Amino acid sequence: MAQAPLPFDSYPSGAREAISRAYADAAAKPTDAASVGTLARTLHAWEQWNSAHDAYARAQALAPATFDWFYLDAVVLRRLARHAETASRLEQALRISPGYLPARVMLAESLLESGDLERSAQRFDALDREPSAEPAAEFGLGRIAAARGRHDEAVTHFNRAVMLFPEYGAAYYALALSYRALGRIDEARTALEKHAQFGPRWPAIADPVLATVTSLRDDDPTNLQRGLKLAEAGDLAGAIAAHEAALARDPSIAQAHANLISLYGRMQNWAKAEEHYRAVVALGVNLGDAHYDYGVLLGLQEKWDLAADAYRQAIAVNSQHARARNNLGQILERQRQFDAAAAEYRQAAANQPSFRLARFNLGRMLIALGKTDEAIQELEKLQEPRDAEAPRYLFALATAYVRAGRKDEGIKWATDAKALALEHGQQDLAAAIERELARLR
Amino acid sequence: MNTTSTKNTKGTKGTKGTKGTKGTKGTKTDRRRVGNSPQAVPAIVLCVLGVLGVLGVLGVLCVVGVPSAPQSMSAAGPIFIESAAAAGLTFTHVNGATGNYYLPEVMGAGVALFDYDNDGDLDVFVVQGGALSANAVGGPETSRLYRNDLTTTGGRRTLKFTDVTERAHAGVRAYGMGVAVGDYDNDGYLDLFITSFGGVTLLHNNGDGTFTDVTTKSGLSDPQWSSSAAFIDYDRDGFLDLFVANYVDFTLAGNKSCNDSVGARDYCGPRAFRPVPSRLFRNAGNGTFTDVSERAGITKAYGAGLGVALGDYNGDGWPDLYVANDATPNNLWINHRDGTFVDEGLLSGSAVNAAGNPEGSMGIASGDFDLDGDEDLFVTNIAGETFVLYVNDGRGNFEDARTRAGLATPTAAFTGFGTDWIDYDNDGWPDLFVANGGVNIVESQRGQPTPFRMTNQLFHNVADKTGRRFEETSAAAGPAFARAEISRGAAFGDIDNDGDIDIVVSNNGGPVRLLLNQAGGTNHWLQVRLDQRPGNRFGIGALISIERAGQPTLRRRVRTDGSYLSASDVRVHFGLGSSAAIGAVVVQWPDGALERWTGITADKAVMLRRGSGVMSPR
Repeated sequence: MAQAPLPFDSYPSGAREAISRAYADAAAKPTDAASVGTLARTLHAWEQWNSAHDAYARAQALAPATFDWFYLDAVVLRRLARHAETASRLEQALRISPGYLPARVMLAESLLESGDLERSAQRFDALDREPSAEPAAEFGLGRIAAARGRHDEAVTHFNRAVMLFPEYGAAYYALALSYRALGRIDEARTALEKHAQFGPRWPAIADPVLATVTSLRDDDPTNLQRGLKLAEAGDLAGAIAAHEAALARDPSIAQAHANLISLYGRMQNWAKAEEHYRAVVALGVNLGDAHYDYGVLLGLQEKWDLAADAYRQAIAVNSQHARARNNLGQILERQRQFDAAAAEYRQAAANQPSFRLARFNLGRMLIALGKTDEAIQELEKLQEPRDAEAPRYLFALATAYVRAGRKDEGIKWATDAKALALEHGQQDLAAAIERELARLR
Repeated sequence: MNTTSTKNTKGTKGTKGTKGTKGTKGTKTDRRRVGNSPQAVPAIVLCVLGVLGVLGVLGVLCVVGVPSAPQSMSAAGPIFIESAAAAGLTFTHVNGATGNYYLPEVMGAGVALFDYDNDGDLDVFVVQGGALSANAVGGPETSRLYRNDLTTTGGRRTLKFTDVTERAHAGVRAYGMGVAVGDYDNDGYLDLFITSFGGVTLLHNNGDGTFTDVTTKSGLSDPQWSSSAAFIDYDRDGFLDLFVANYVDFTLAGNKSCNDSVGARDYCGPRAFRPVPSRLFRNAGNGTFTDVSERAGITKAYGAGLGVALGDYNGDGWPDLYVANDATPNNLWINHRDGTFVDEGLLSGSAVNAAGNPEGSMGIASGDFDLDGDEDLFVTNIAGETFVLYVNDGRGNFEDARTRAGLATPTAAFTGFGTDWIDYDNDGWPDLFVANGGVNIVESQRGQPTPFRMTNQLFHNVADKTGRRFEETSAAAGPAFARAEISRGAAFGDIDNDGDIDIVVSNNGGPVRLLLNQAGGTNHWLQVRLDQRPGNRFGIGALISIERAGQPTLRRRVRTDGSYLSASDVRVHFGLGSSAAIGAVVVQWPDGALERWTGITADKAVMLRRGSGVMSPR
């Protein structure tokens, strides 16, 4: 079984070099499982899924006792959502290395995804005894129980999963659906809030075999990705170095320049930030956010007029840029151009109704302009959700009522705001509200 | 003051999270290519590559199975025959692609089937794109209206379409996206609402074969990138209101540079931009509309809207709305009967997949596929996600049943758009059609022109021991289903009035296709058009039930929405299977009133006028 030809000419140079090197080696040694497997890994690393699957299949045939080829093929098949085949490949892999935990977890999950609940449950049961796999096992057992309509049991499993891994967004979502099925709607909504908070986070399990694939890519986008992870972890210098290294090879990577605007900004290296801003502008793409980020940096340097210009440029590129409008509004407010500021806040809120800060700013401006009825109308829309931002929104609403001459309602909202502030541990705000209440009473 | 936008944070790789040391936080990855964006997306754009069954390139065992699968056909021949050119439908969509990778270029446009001249047959309106440049959006091309000049001579039907765009004044010049159909002014003629990349158009049907652009007069305005739209009488006042899904805040000047998995320039995904809220316009009853979006509550939750369907998902008699949001949680807007809606998408289980992650979500089929009396949802996604079947429990709670229903594996390699429940063989059970076409380069087509081509799919609704499941019948559907194109919109209706459902499919940057059904002839059927005065003349939102002795009741909603960017026939088609016996036809009118007809016989098109049956107390 020969590897089918690949469209090398259509790959960019980084991919072409890596893939063609591996391909040539595999073509020269078609019966060498290691060479064919390296080709498969390379294609896998560059996400050429079907070609990778082909190559893994060849490697399996050449070396049927090698775990990696079956396992990595399963990873690829899973990516293609071919769950039944994934399960089959994993079973073959685990006959070779029965203890490989990521494979065991993936098999249990693939059996679940392909509808084989019985065998999936058996697999998850066995995984429940492995500490690092226990959260995933509980999640899987919960899903199986839910699929069978046994939602009480499902809730137990999901709660254990999130107890073991508190950021398990997927488990919170499944928990919410089971609570809903049981009619426990309030608990369902609470679980959904957690899901919204944690999103796609899930408990990873060390996978050295898969790491042999991910380590094969050393191209610029991959390095940018690594750089961003460094930034997330707080290593700004490392992140900047990774980005600058990518640009040293290819100065036209607009995203690298764009990222460096904010990375250098966070280091307060304004000159370098500006240098990369100018580079993005010269490249002519990713302009909206580049102008916006530059505006933020100028604002941090208190260069308000220049910041306003940058925001205006962002808006010229994208009139729906809510954050640029909001920030421009704040500069106009600083310059006491309240009507203009209100107009920008209003447009920001209209463009992005979920952008509560913009509506809050609009409300404040309307109060300043004496348009208290309109302020009340806008600020009332900020009552929900009752999150950590809400206390100051409610306090603003209270202020609007008071300024409108509706003191009792103002006191009510201020009292609500104070209670909510205390709930969220905002002692200073609560104290400030209390001072206002004392004055009003 | 907002600080710098967050750049490329949470993982979005197509693989499952980051495998690190024990206890490391992983991130469930987003399969969608997301682009280089300052939002919470990485610098790498990871291409979701589907499999295309192109013979010989790689010797791949293709998931698609066509054309490598044998083209077997039933003894009676192909289920559908493609006949666009032969019938005079010669439209080709222009997407304006010039190498700048502007996102609108990859979205395609919609198509409508509606009887604009009330002569009893379905005409075709096809939305056109055009040029995209800083100087001009939209080009000399316009949307086109084709009049159906169907003739029947000696029992033989001849289908012929005539382009009447100019004389009908129906040529909309814009970078068009979708089309919605409804009689907003209750004059008995169906009007058109067209969405676009920047701006909307309302064409009033004058009833004399012409249309008038009344957009400004109507007060309808939506400068954002609008996609699908639906006419819905949400307040049950007899005047059709309008829901418009909006997509993302993409602008030409704000275009971003994105790359695919090998680092080649590619289209950015929706996550490279910010979603913008949908709009709800209330019909004032005097030819004008008022934007009630905020008042109705629909701005409280939104995603990158692409598909919209109306249905009564919680069975309370009031119309709700389901919105498919691209790579963002879908919305299930439950009508609270007081002019407001509340989004119950997440809680209902219809917003995201079982892992809690949003999927591609482009096209929608809304209907009762299992004949248990409630409306289920089928939503198309991108390659690598599989298409989802959300089964309704009757109270607006949904279960993801894609695997159990046999829809996961056969759809894994496809990126789907236009879709609907159609009983193509008139056996009484709604089947599925899906128009497919890539948005990312298909791996096996890399290096070829238009490397986004996929085949369309047909699924037959069959019984199994646990209920209903779907078997793919694309191979038997005919050569049209072996042709790989970049399909997008799809509209459904009996175009040749022969008692079975046909399909019009729009292709991105390609010709429109007309799929004429050849399979429905052996079973019985009934086609129903409603007529009520004075308001909501076509009864959009009404529920029609056919009661049959010893067989499940068939229920279908009067609608023109669903699918992707498209509008289907307002007449409701029922396959009745082998028995022509109809116990009764019951209509639940949009205002909740119930009316019943008996003595209706099968194999014909009927118009049921309100008041001509037996009314039931509410």
